[in-house]
Amino acid sequence: MTAAPRPRKWRKPSAIANPVLRYGLFVTVFAYLYWAVATLPINWDRILQGFPRAVRIFSNAWPPNFTRSGLMISGFTESIQMAIIATVLGVAISIPVAIMAARNIAPPPVYAVGRAIIIVARSFHPIIVAIIFVKAVGFGALAGIFTLMLYSLGFVGKLLAEAVEEIDPGQVEAMKAAGAGFFKTLIFAVFPQILPRQVGLSIYQLDSNLRASAVVGVVGAGGIGGTLMNAFRRFDYDFAFAILLVLIAIILISEGISGRLRRGLS
Amino acid sequence: MLKITALNKRYGNGELVLRGLDLAIDEPGLTAIIGSSGAGKSTLLRCINRLIEPTSGTIVVNGVAITALRGKPLRHARRSIGMIFQGFNLVDRLSVMENVLAGRLGYVNATQALTRRFPQRDIDHAFALLERVGLQDYINKRADTLSGGQRQRVGVVRALMQEPKILLADEPTASLDPKTSQQIMALIRELSDELQLPVLVNIHNVHQARTFADRVLGMRFGVMIFDGKGEDLDDETLDRVYEGTAGRGENEEPGDASWLAGAKAP
Amino acid sequence: MSRETGATAAATTTPVGYRWQRYTPLQRFGRYAAYLIAATGVYWALRTLDVHWPWVWSAPNEIADMFNRMSPPDLRRGDAILRAMLETIHIATLATALSLLFSLPTAYISAQNTTPNAATLWLGRFILVATRSVNTIIWALLFVAIFGPGVMAGILAIAFRSIGFTGKLMAEAIEEIDRKPVEAITAAGGDKTKIVIFGIIPQVLPTFLAVTILRWDINIRESTVLGLVGAGGIGLILQGAIDTFQWRTASTILIAILIVVILGEVVSSALRKRVL
Repeated sequence: MTAAPRPRKWRKPSAIANPVLRYGLFVTVFAYLYWAVATLPINWDRILQGFPRAVRIFSNAWPPNFTRSGLMISGFTESIQMAIIATVLGVAISIPVAIMAARNIAPPPVYAVGRAIIIVARSFHPIIVAIIFVKAVGFGALAGIFTLMLYSLGFVGKLLAEAVEEIDPGQVEAMKAAGAGFFKTLIFAVFPQILPRQVGLSIYQLDSNLRASAVVGVVGAGGIGGTLMNAFRRFDYDFAFAILLVLIAIILISEGISGRLRRGLS
Repeated sequence: MLKITALNKRYGNGELVLRGLDLAIDEPGLTAIIGSSGAGKSTLLRCINRLIEPTSGTIVVNGVAITALRGKPLRHARRSIGMIFQGFNLVDRLSVMENVLAGRLGYVNATQALTRRFPQRDIDHAFALLERVGLQDYINKRADTLSGGQRQRVGVVRALMQEPKILLADEPTASLDPKTSQQIMALIRELSDELQLPVLVNIHNVHQARTFADRVLGMRFGVMIFDGKGEDLDDETLDRVYEGTAGRGENEEPGDASWLAGAKAP
Repeated sequence: MSRETGATAAATTTPVGYRWQRYTPLQRFGRYAAYLIAATGVYWALRTLDVHWPWVWSAPNEIADMFNRMSPPDLRRGDAILRAMLETIHIATLATALSLLFSLPTAYISAQNTTPNAATLWLGRFILVATRSVNTIIWALLFVAIFGPGVMAGILAIAFRSIGFTGKLMAEAIEEIDRKPVEAITAAGGDKTKIVIFGIIPQVLPTFLAVTILRWDINIRESTVLGLVGAGGIGLILQGAIDTFQWRTASTILIAILIVVILGEVVSSALRKRVL
């Protein structure tokens, strides 16, 4: 068919064409890994001791101890309540902030403020926010609710702002042409377009808040987190394991429900 | 080269799609299978290399009873059966060369596949074949940047890289425009002659079957009702093959309305 | 004539008795039901929640007071804070890298089209669910109990949590690949390994890179709080400052966290744009 083959070489072209860049990247990565591991304070003796400790802890944790159900039920109930309230209020305040943070609706100074609020709300881990609120308004569910509201604001606010930026400008234009003022335009042209997204986000956030509410208790902001923390402190590993199992179950159920609801909506 | 005896295929609990089909191919040349969709053409082809499991029957390919194999021997047997697909079945994000070398995946080990360090003879063979089909300038281009006809040519080269002893083509031109479709069929025909390779092609275009095939098989509801030369394929036979179906495929040569004359009134 | 025409025109052009409703009766019922359920839920939550209402009303004041106490930021312990932030970044990076080792095989056995059998599918799904549902902090508690306080506990906690996140998204990516190349490789005589190398990896590579970068970004945020349970990073210093009421130092730390998180987001979205 064709002549005798000429020995032609082929190697898969590299993703990074420049060899200097490519090898430089390799060197940087290895250097970084070495530096990170070297400078991190790791106590290797303590870690080796960890394996027998782990065995002990896991044998203590089994079987899971459900006898203190009263404590568990009140803890979980509080977490669920916190999640519900925080989602409702959080989504409510997300809407005006999302409008503020939408480049196509808000004037530049307002846009800057809106974006800043969302960035700050997102950058801090809920635990840090929880600590601050606990110091500000005291231990208990109130601090947890404020924390989760901010958490919701960061997430729902950002995604809602993106949704507002993606609306069809034609509808806004039509409203303006008909002489509608700012708020009427909002209600007739913007909200209908973002409503499906918003409902989906709210359901997702309820699920997220449920997860987060279990954790803010670790720093005293109410919910099952506190119960869990105490169990760890008192070395009640079997109780802690029971709490974890119920937590996973609740999260699974809520995820299943929220997934089905969101699918049914779209 | 290929001997099929009493091949039956039933999907689930439904009807038999292939009914006691017998077929023998003893010499190189292009054999075309025509028939309406649902006649079982695709199923037949895929049973030969066991991409689909036959319900019963024997298939002997290149002297090996492929229906009796599993695991490694089956994979080895597949190496000598090349297949060309209607949807080209290329890996879009990989380059033309990588797609073509994929034809050798039955012969190399995992490390060679991972690092793309194929034996030099494979590389030489790839270059030769790519030049033969006119794609030598596209070696490192991503497969999804190619046109349909170019992609199918890559598919043809990939199949030939296996150094197969028989070639199967499942409606190789169905996704292509008429002109490209002619080119690809011509290419397959030429390669079949050059390499003295038996080729079994599913075609929905009767005109192409007549033009390119040495032997035409008419299939209807799982059995062969015609086996002969293209020129012996008269309108009455065609009616029987396509009886009760919508038609005989696109790309009919304009003016060839002879089938209409013999068609029965609805 | 014109009056006649006018009357006729009016009779044909002015519809009488139309009503416009936005929703059909069934839809309205559905909406009211949904509102009712939501309202009941909220009402129940508010009623039974143990909240000291006086505290609620004083909350805005308290928060404002806290802000006052936190400004202006105190920069005196700057180098300790810097070192701790670096440690936090290291923890996040190393943990993300470590988690990839486990999340990829787990994703492989959790995808319906690649898992060897039903048992491995179940195992994979279980691993993904367990590591996702247990929050990083709770993992940290566990690892501090096992390995003692320190960065190791933190790295393991973040790595474990990341397995579930990355693994789930990768499993979904694997399930969504185009099967046609897989068919072609099988027809050419390739075994499962070759299918993975040539058929699956090229298709899921962009998702993999995007997900890893995203997870690294999230992990930086997560690492900042590990110190609160003793698992290393900036959290320890923050907790110390808050516990000793050094609000102005605390606000410096918070600003440092803000800067690092924002930098992480900038870097990660730049990387993601390059990848896709």
